[in-house]
Amino acid sequence: MLKTVYWISTLCLTLFAGTAHASADLPSIQRGAHIATEVCNGCHSLKYIKYKDLLSIGLTKDEVNTLRGEKNLGDPLKAQMAVNDALAMFNVAPPDLSLMAEAREGGPHYIVELLTGFAPGADGQTTNRVFPGIKMPDIFGIAQADPAARKEIEQKAKDVAAFLEWTADPQADARKRMGAGVLIYVAVLTVLFYLLKKKIWRRLK
Amino acid sequence: MSKKIVAWIDQRFPLSAFVKHELTDYPTPRNLSYWWGFGFLAGFVLVIQLVTGVFLAMHYKADSNLAFDSIQHIMREVNYGWLIRYLHSTGASAFFIVIYTHMARTLYYGSYRRPRELLWWTGQLLLLLMMATAFMGYLLPWGQMSYWGATVITNLFSATPGFGEDIVVWLRGGFAVDDPTLTRFFSMHYLFPFIISGAVIIHLVALHTVRSSNPSGLNLADKDNIPFHPYYTTKDLFGLGIFLLGYFAIVFFKPDLFIDPANNVPANPMQTPADIVPEWYFLPFYAILRSVPDLAGGVVAMLVSVLIFAAMPYLDRSRITGGARYRPIYRTLFYVFVIDIFVLGYVGAHPPANLMKLTGQIATSIYFLTFLLLPFVSRWEESRLLQSGKLPADVVGMARKEIEESHA
Repeated sequence: MLKTVYWISTLCLTLFAGTAHASADLPSIQRGAHIATEVCNGCHSLKYIKYKDLLSIGLTKDEVNTLRGEKNLGDPLKAQMAVNDALAMFNVAPPDLSLMAEAREGGPHYIVELLTGFAPGADGQTTNRVFPGIKMPDIFGIAQADPAARKEIEQKAKDVAAFLEWTADPQADARKRMGAGVLIYVAVLTVLFYLLKKKIWRRLK
Repeated sequence: MSKKIVAWIDQRFPLSAFVKHELTDYPTPRNLSYWWGFGFLAGFVLVIQLVTGVFLAMHYKADSNLAFDSIQHIMREVNYGWLIRYLHSTGASAFFIVIYTHMARTLYYGSYRRPRELLWWTGQLLLLLMMATAFMGYLLPWGQMSYWGATVITNLFSATPGFGEDIVVWLRGGFAVDDPTLTRFFSMHYLFPFIISGAVIIHLVALHTVRSSNPSGLNLADKDNIPFHPYYTTKDLFGLGIFLLGYFAIVFFKPDLFIDPANNVPANPMQTPADIVPEWYFLPFYAILRSVPDLAGGVVAMLVSVLIFAAMPYLDRSRITGGARYRPIYRTLFYVFVIDIFVLGYVGAHPPANLMKLTGQIATSIYFLTFLLLPFVSRWEESRLLQSGKLPADVVGMARKEIEESHA
């Protein structure tokens, strides 16, 4: 019995520890927010995110004000380029990025691989090994980058992925915190149910 | 005071008598293992689904232009909307895990045997209703997999001889899955749970008529029965605690476990996903469908694969009780069948390339062979076991009595 309690509480504490770790990459998310709003947002929308939401990942009011320009705090992050212009230029509408980290097999990892997957092709154009035929240009210029610049770009890609992981699941931290509490509560309750069951069934012997 | 109120009610409605008959005096075998707790869990999950579903419906928009966005509205703007949605989406999978375990217990211990045929069949009806509900619910998020899954499955009805195409149009409310499909699926997805609730009551009435089977397979005399309350209420509560630990672990820490990434992309009729995969709980049946080269044949095979469980009381011709407990060959068949279902599930999740296709066809053959062989194997094993002298005396006695009755 004690052993069960021990294992269940260990499990809960492990989950707790994992949760505390979750927000450790907040600086990465913030850097990613800047890249995504200043670069990606040119063509891609982030329609499920509003400017004021960026305050919750620790961007200051001044930073958000600079990013939003004339737009309201409650406005969603629409693409700066009109969809028709994008269609004329790329022949395809750039997809919304809010859910991208959950909409591809591999999640954030896929985003990193895609952004760093550009390489010089045979015909002088860049190709992408993750998404051959992609219409998106090599926005960070990794295909022509020297090793030092390459490292910098890889970090940028990771930051963007971290930010998009947040945009896809902004409640993740709150959810895990609540989950740890719920699991501890249910674990204690289950132990009590077990003791109750034991007590009731003892009547039969 | 409370006694007075109960007395007042009892004069007008048999409240105390009901509680006494169905709960505090309801006789239950004392040897039921935790495998007998899954019916209660299924009822519990049904309540979770009903309650969370009602709250989701307050914020969801059944409109092909708004549905996808309304899910994100629930996830981001509704207070604890993410919790309600994840409880519901995880609840669907939890429901099938619980029900499949419940069915596996019935098959293992032969609980479908006389006199529990109607209990088994009402359960089968519940399974069909549940599958229909889950299938229609999966369209509502209006993601890529929702859309294309519904397209593939409704298209199966085109195999109906004579007016197949008409049925498909009638089901979809148009020539393709579109807004009319979404609104009718939403309506039916809201209606079916109430039909399920009614069928659950029928299932319980049947249960309380024939009473629970038990792991020994014997008809336990009255002295071996204990009242359901407080013995099984407390045992079920402990089982519920264990279940909730697993359920909440997924809801709070891995809620996307059962959500296909492609369903986070809005439905696009112009773009077919690389791989259309149904929800995990349909995979074995989907594998059977694809293992038959011909569409009509595949649909028939898939239907039969679900409905054939109803024939179990007749396919299993052994008069030895206790299901797999005393019958090593039946036990082997059971485990082969369970492994086969997992193989089919794996095949169903992958594109039907060469080796995968062959594996699917072999697994499909094994699936049906287990049922086809059962009438012969069960009789043969019965006579072998009765002659062996290794069975407990009361098991032999019950079997011989049943055999005599069948001759009379």
